[in-house]
Amino acid sequence: MDIVLKVDGLTKSYGRGADAVRVLGGISFEVEQGEFVSVVGPSGCGKTTLLFAIAGLHSLTSGSVRLKGQPVTAPPKGVAVVFQDYSRSLFPWKNSRDNVAFGMARIGGRSAADKRAKAEAMLEAVGLGGFGDKYPWQLSGGMQQRVAIARALASESELLLLDEPLAAVDAQTRSDMQDLLLDIAIRFRQTCLLVTHDVDEAVYMADRVVVLTRRPTTVDHEIRIGLGKKRDQIATRENPVFLKARHDVMTSIRNFRAGAPANALA
Amino acid sequence: MSAASLTSFGALHRLNAIVSFLLIAAAWQLVAVSGAVPAKYFPDIPAIASAFWSMLTSGELPGAELRTLTRALTGLAGASILGVGLAVLSDLSPVFRRGFAPVAALIQPIPPAALVPMAVFMLGLGPSLYAFIIILVTVWPPYFNGVAALAGVLGEQIRSGQMMALGRWQMLWQIKLPAALPEIFAGIRYASTISLIAVVVAEMLAGHDGLGFLLIRKAFAIRIPEVYALMFVCALNGILMTALIGLLRWQLTGWHMRMTEQPA
Repeated sequence: MDIVLKVDGLTKSYGRGADAVRVLGGISFEVEQGEFVSVVGPSGCGKTTLLFAIAGLHSLTSGSVRLKGQPVTAPPKGVAVVFQDYSRSLFPWKNSRDNVAFGMARIGGRSAADKRAKAEAMLEAVGLGGFGDKYPWQLSGGMQQRVAIARALASESELLLLDEPLAAVDAQTRSDMQDLLLDIAIRFRQTCLLVTHDVDEAVYMADRVVVLTRRPTTVDHEIRIGLGKKRDQIATRENPVFLKARHDVMTSIRNFRAGAPANALA
Repeated sequence: MSAASLTSFGALHRLNAIVSFLLIAAAWQLVAVSGAVPAKYFPDIPAIASAFWSMLTSGELPGAELRTLTRALTGLAGASILGVGLAVLSDLSPVFRRGFAPVAALIQPIPPAALVPMAVFMLGLGPSLYAFIIILVTVWPPYFNGVAALAGVLGEQIRSGQMMALGRWQMLWQIKLPAALPEIFAGIRYASTISLIAVVVAEMLAGHDGLGFLLIRKAFAIRIPEVYALMFVCALNGILMTALIGLLRWQLTGWHMRMTEQPA
């Protein structure tokens, strides 16, 4: 299997000298082609910092991030991000179609008509066919999230980074969006890295879960989720394999939280 | 909100405006005929209307109005472009922002009238006098709103642009300016009123034509109904200016007005 992403000894500190705070304490893991990997860790372990470092939005203190072997020093062409605050990442002055087309800004050699058609197709893929003329503020939260996903898909990325993309939607929409993301990942053979604090979501979505420690954060362990690609909101969540994996991850996270200083629990 | 209900929303606002205007006119007329204030200094509405009509038909008012409006509009356009330009420069260069902020803080509180004497000595009585005064007092709202709005563009939007490897000018043109325009327009709208005030003050103090000059001449001649009629024209100009800016604002930031359900 081809390695799409290789994170090696990644550290990130804020501040200098005696005041320096080490957030990431040497993180290493890999993501293979076509894999769906979840990264889960206790609250405040620097998940978003890690994701931004992988996306080339933050500099690293030491270590390396490689995308298909190329070191990442700035936002690389092959990475798309769905941000946690999706409604804030869309442009309210563009309609859905143009928001999605913005995702193609780095793909050269396409006519405006091609981009438009592709944007429509991506909206169709996330179940928003016919909503191209609507502005983000005319859509519900769940629909805005779909536009953000369509924009990320349109960029034809090697790796899709998902920064707790479902944290702000209600429980039912959340289940629907989980299945939509899984469906899209299979249909577009999209390699995905999901960063979340939600253990159930991390296990339900992933082929493999990377469990992080508390600060300074390292990888505690990884578990492969032997559930196959097909998931079901009811059957999968009752499957002993799911329950065992959930138990394992939940126990680790609880231990980190129990060992955390009181202020980190707040 | 649908387009149809948005229109009726706007119509309702207009109806409210007309009703309150009529109420004020009625109250004015009531005070004038009651004799509580000397009629000489508080003429009734028909007297003001006939003064207005005679200045209009004599050509005195249209000429003055045209000059004043032209000055205010060109001054506002120049000040807006300059103000937004300075805001963009401040956004691109922190060094410029830190250097320029104290200068702005120092110049901004100077009232337009205080600028007139020195401006006359240096620039004479020509168009450059008006340009200088209007721009110096009008540039600030677009500048300050522009600086705040450009600094306030959402991090998620900026990062979305970074993921597309936008350069600094693409970022400005494609993300920062569109995001900042609604707030910039709020500044320009405010600046339009200041621009009208500055023109009339400059014309009163140093002019030989325009509404301000006409107003001061009528005042010295103790033509009180004419003075009131001219004050009314000044007020109308404010509405006219706001309407013109509203049209431009709708063209450029219509999305924001629909998003926040503001009447067009």
